[in-house]
Amino acid sequence: MLIPLVQNETLKILRRKRFAVVAAILFVIIALVTYSQYRRLSEQRDRNWRAEIQQRVASFQNTLRRGRINETWARSLHAEINRLQFYLDHDIEPNQPTAPIFVRTFANVAGFLLLPLLIAILGSDIVSAENAEGTDKLLLTRPVRRWKVLTAKLVTLWTFATLTLLTGGVMAFAVSAPFLPRGGWTAPTFTGFSIEKGAMQLDAVRQLPLWKDTLIAYGLDWFALLTVACIALLLSVLFRSSAAAIGTMLASLIGGTILTRISPDWTAGKYLFVSALPLADYYTGEPPPYDGMSMLFCIGLLSAWALAATAISYIVFTRRDVFG
Amino acid sequence: MPTQPTLTATNLTKIIGKKTIVDSVSFELQAGEIFGFLGPNGAGKTTTIRMLVGLIRPTAGHVTICGFDQRRQFEDAMRCVGCIVENPDLYRFMTGRENLEHFARMLRVAGSEIERVAELVSLAHRLDQRVGTYSLGMRQRLGIAQALLGDPKLLILDEPANGLDPAGIREIRELLRQLAAERQMSIFISSHLLAEIELTCDRVAIIHKGRILREGTVRELISSRREMELRVDDVVRASAIVTERNLPFRTDTDRIWVAIEEPDAPPLVAALVQAGVNVFHAQRRTQSLEEMFLEATGGESVD
Repeated sequence: MLIPLVQNETLKILRRKRFAVVAAILFVIIALVTYSQYRRLSEQRDRNWRAEIQQRVASFQNTLRRGRINETWARSLHAEINRLQFYLDHDIEPNQPTAPIFVRTFANVAGFLLLPLLIAILGSDIVSAENAEGTDKLLLTRPVRRWKVLTAKLVTLWTFATLTLLTGGVMAFAVSAPFLPRGGWTAPTFTGFSIEKGAMQLDAVRQLPLWKDTLIAYGLDWFALLTVACIALLLSVLFRSSAAAIGTMLASLIGGTILTRISPDWTAGKYLFVSALPLADYYTGEPPPYDGMSMLFCIGLLSAWALAATAISYIVFTRRDVFG
Repeated sequence: MPTQPTLTATNLTKIIGKKTIVDSVSFELQAGEIFGFLGPNGAGKTTTIRMLVGLIRPTAGHVTICGFDQRRQFEDAMRCVGCIVENPDLYRFMTGRENLEHFARMLRVAGSEIERVAELVSLAHRLDQRVGTYSLGMRQRLGIAQALLGDPKLLILDEPANGLDPAGIREIRELLRQLAAERQMSIFISSHLLAEIELTCDRVAIIHKGRILREGTVRELISSRREMELRVDDVVRASAIVTERNLPFRTDTDRIWVAIEEPDAPPLVAALVQAGVNVFHAQRRTQSLEEMFLEATGGESVD
């Protein structure tokens, strides 16, 4: 029963050219980053990376010794020093730009701001536009219950969220492959750096081939994006104008990010969905902004947000009066 | 054998805040009947229609369509209904055909239905153009085509004449009459074009300030108000004579309208002439729906 409805919603997103806009934005950004990576590659051809990293470690250690920095910063500097030391010890050049690494990095960089924003563009008018254009009067007077209509919209949005992520990953490789080294999918990566009681924990560090590590990062992004899709759906149900829906999403993504960076002492901030969005970052070893944000906590938090947003969407959408 | 009504509205009421928008509105539609819903703006017409099709939840009362409770058996009930609420708003960024396919998928009806309904409203030739390029009249036709998908037993049309030229209005009127006569479809029409309702509908309800003021067949409502128009030289003396006979009347500068049955007309004219009133013109006429409407609503405009 749901398939024809999903077909309808998909047709509407495609005809509105929303996905074309998303793909275009992805292409422009990826092309720009590829160009900068290519420049970097040509510049660092004959560079001594070991010396550079040793220098960075030394400079971090100096900063720490001077001791005029707050505790959080000191903690992240420690983490970074430990990580760089790890690369030095194992003789792995961490920063050479390659197409596979670009694909992998894309998951971290785009996962918490760019991709959620694109999902917001896709999802913001999935309900609100029907409202604004008056087509809801027809859509909701057909022999299909409202919850089914909304379910079709949610499923479609999830499909396009998945598609956006895949497009991003595939495009990152396709655009950068002609200009950057293509090999290295099996190169070892190190993940699982974690901080406990302010100290870098290396016991949990795992060595994975890059392709596996990439899959895990995209899997985490995917989960985060499904949550974002649920929240985008809620905003689209609540707002009549898609501009308001996109704006609210933008404000909460950026505002939340700023908040977590600026006042990490306000611990209630860890319950914001924005704090838990950079799952891929935390997986790589980036310290979360608040204590006690384990991977399990983040996934649980995102699930709770997704569930709450979806529940409110359904309650409001199935019960409200549709006026002109 | 009494047939089951296609549509029953029972005591429909909508209260928002403290304002009663629709107040205990009840009516019934039989198969093959065209029912007109008349009222000025803000009378509660659209709110009533929105309650009929489940867009608005009534504060009290309920709607039954083809024997199905519209709230509890929504899907069964709505399978019997095709409707246009307010404007024929369709997806402008899609073609006419894509729009029809969209709604056909929701109804799970065959693709051949699309050709059939497009043919019925003479839109087949523009079906592959984007709806954004359509005129209001064409969108109206597409809206009706959409409503006819799946051959519903009940058609609910809000202002179907909107945006159509006179030829288009006549064409759609004939289509509706034909659907009612041949397919026994019940058709609910709201309109502000009284002449249109008069020509199209079998039965009419007049709604004002959320309440139904009058309801009956078009014939009943019109024949209940027959009158004679007289053009005379002395309206004051004529009024006195009419008053003597206890007949209701109204006047303007040189005319007097008297509510009177046909056999009583010649004696009245004779009496007037005898009293020295010059009668230039005497004509029996039926009160138009418009006059009756203005009288019923206290002279408020229909638009």
